Amino acid sequence: MIARGHIHPISSLIREANAIFYRMGFSYVEGPLLEDEWHNFDALNVPKDHPARDMQDTFFIKDEEGKMLRTHTSPVQIRYMESQIKKGIQPPYRVIVPGKVFRNEATDMTHEAEFFQIEGLAVGEDITLAHLKGTLEKFFKEIFRGASVDIRFRPSFFPFTEPSVEVDMRITGVNAPEKLRDKWIEIMGAGMVHPQVLKNVGIDAQKYRGFAFGMGLDRLALLRWGIDDIRLIHSADLRFINQF
Amino acid sequence: MKISRNWLQTYFDTPLPDARELSDALTFHTFEIESIEDDVLDVKVTPNRGHDCLSHRGIAKELSAILELPMKNDSLRVPLPALPEGVAMEIESPARAPVGAVAYVRGVKIGASPMWLKERLESIGQRSINNVVDATNYVMFDIGMPTHAFSADTFKDGGIVRYGIRCSKKSEKLALLGGTAIELSGDEAVIVNASDEAVDIGGVKGGMRAELQENTTEVLLSASKFEPVQTRRAAQRFNQRTEAAKRFENEMSDELAVYGVRAVADLVQKIAGGEIVGYGIVKSRSSADRTVSVSLAKINTVLGTRLEEKNVADVLKRLDLQFKCNEMSSHCIFDVEVPFERMDITIPEDLIEEIGRIIGYDSSPAVELPVFRGTVEINENFYASEKVREDLISGGYSEVFTSVFADKGERAVLNKVGGERPFLRSTLIDGLKDALEKNTHNKDLLGLEGVKLFEIGTVWSDGKEIIMVGTVSEKERATEKPLEEYLSNDVSCMQYDDLPFSAAMRYQSFSKYPYIVRDIAMWVPTGTGADEVLEIIKQNAGELLVRSSLFDRFEKGGKTSLAFRLVFQSFGKTLTDEDVNQVMSKVYAVLMAQGFEIR
Repeated sequence: MIARGHIHPISSLIREANAIFYRMGFSYVEGPLLEDEWHNFDALNVPKDHPARDMQDTFFIKDEEGKMLRTHTSPVQIRYMESQIKKGIQPPYRVIVPGKVFRNEATDMTHEAEFFQIEGLAVGEDITLAHLKGTLEKFFKEIFRGASVDIRFRPSFFPFTEPSVEVDMRITGVNAPEKLRDKWIEIMGAGMVHPQVLKNVGIDAQKYRGFAFGMGLDRLALLRWGIDDIRLIHSADLRFINQF
Repeated sequence: MKISRNWLQTYFDTPLPDARELSDALTFHTFEIESIEDDVLDVKVTPNRGHDCLSHRGIAKELSAILELPMKNDSLRVPLPALPEGVAMEIESPARAPVGAVAYVRGVKIGASPMWLKERLESIGQRSINNVVDATNYVMFDIGMPTHAFSADTFKDGGIVRYGIRCSKKSEKLALLGGTAIELSGDEAVIVNASDEAVDIGGVKGGMRAELQENTTEVLLSASKFEPVQTRRAAQRFNQRTEAAKRFENEMSDELAVYGVRAVADLVQKIAGGEIVGYGIVKSRSSADRTVSVSLAKINTVLGTRLEEKNVADVLKRLDLQFKCNEMSSHCIFDVEVPFERMDITIPEDLIEEIGRIIGYDSSPAVELPVFRGTVEINENFYASEKVREDLISGGYSEVFTSVFADKGERAVLNKVGGERPFLRSTLIDGLKDALEKNTHNKDLLGLEGVKLFEIGTVWSDGKEIIMVGTVSEKERATEKPLEEYLSNDVSCMQYDDLPFSAAMRYQSFSKYPYIVRDIAMWVPTGTGADEVLEIIKQNAGELLVRSSLFDRFEKGGKTSLAFRLVFQSFGKTLTDEDVNQVMSKVYAVLMAQGFEIR
């Protein structure tokens, strides 16, 4: 019998996140890594030549005007909503988008130029910020199996959400990893979809609202398993991978 | 932005709480705090609030709302008196400079700043230069309007003071303060003197041509407002990301320029003496009052709360947002008059955020989503990749992710930090080969018979972005195949399989030092279990033994031969043969004492 190989922890997390969100009615969708300015920035309400674009250092593609490696998974929100509207399908929508994203910055123990994110989007007539909190609480409880997880919101700013929040989580109880127990940890950005974003894809922003969130999967893996260096995730080193 | 608690205190009669408490108030209601040092907070002002909060006044306003402390004075709520004219102003392109604002002050005495001013500026990491320059910086950090002081000499034309703003000319030269000589591009706004010479890159940095001298007595104090995008580009072009440029690129309201020029003229007069001869103010557009309306019902449906009219009214009052409550039939609508500096408030959702954050999101409820009425779709690619992943793992392959950046490929990125490997990979093969080589060295440490790897990843080839499945092992060459070829034909009845998650609990960090392998073989009486022997070895080899396994066993003449592979590694150093020999001697001795015969 051949000994089983090992799943990469990120793939395991995506598998688990998909299972949790699937039960909550979210479809898994994906999009290209090489993006255009419309999907990565403009449609998301990030104006050209605006300081908000500095929040994400972008890899632009040589000799291809307006092309870049996506800086977040949010452009897939736009692609998904555009395609639904084109097919004549109005909300409700619920999707998650796991995938690789890119930031042009120097790497260290907590920063990688390429890393994984998971995006969530729920659009409907009755979606509220309270649903965002409820959804995230449920997700974290399941992903940190059995530990109790508290969620807290702090005000923040993203051009594509209004209101925008920063989400902190805190794991408590005996099942919590000791290093993390009772500590508030910043885990993701989120908010209510900016009405301009809905308008940009042709959705009636008077009738529909939505929430969106985006979280680093590498960071979630670090927290979940106590990994001490984010670069291990991209190291292709079996001394790391074979532990999973 | 660095914010000093003492500076903030000038806005309040009531003593402010300590810096830690101020930090908490801002963190949970307005902005993240990067650090606290003594009584200075480093506040991370978000790009939407650069209009009003890159200033002590803006932060004081926030604290007033959060902590329910009345402000004793708010310079931006005082109506401005008519300002006497005294400068001839010409703005060639109002789109570049929507407001020209300058004050002409005569008879100033340049010298050291008063102690209070020096202390304020130094507390937020600024260097005191002289009273006039310090006054301009003070106004910027106090109310958020960048201002600049020029020596008035070259602006004078007979009895008239002329100040202009125009577009630069291509190849026009300018020596910036500090000495950097630049050549203008023809695309930036410049301030010009009476001879039409550029003396300042508008919104970015002043030039040496009109620099204040120790004996300067006549100054022009400029608080003109420059357009954000051009200013940002100019600052980038000349690598001058100054405090002024930062504020212009975030844009402030037109009105702030007029408040700014008045504030700086008054302060210069107060600390450097002289007489304000007059102002030059040109506003190219009139600013209309803005009203944004939001209904109580909408606030509650977005936030998922049950706020009442009085709760909302209370927050608006605390934020100093004037409103009328427009009672229409059944629902109450708040018509909010937005003050000029709050350029971020333009739609109802902006007001909802104000309500949500000032009340505090900690009180916002958590509600599960209702059952989804649509269909949950199965993603073909994910479905196929999960199948492939499971098949490969069952076949002994482990999954890696290698970088999408390569030293060759069809496409490249423009601006990679460090410049290495700028291409987007066109194949998984090279990454997999590297990964194989790296891991092969660790085979014994990992206890693997052979290294087998796979990656499911994106490549860019033949002008397309494709997801590939690649495999490699010591016995087979690296190969790859598009995921497309694994797609299932029958999409209609697809369900995600219930595949196992990683069972790992905690990651154990591994040693970065090389390891040493020793094999040991012995005769033992038949019937002696290999586990039993391995246990003895482990107990005596100590913590340097990181992996041990039986690799050979046979029987001959009533005896059994057992062979074990032992892997030694230290967390603290590179092991020497001598280190391992010592351990092995001990193991040999114990095994021989058991009556085993070492081969």
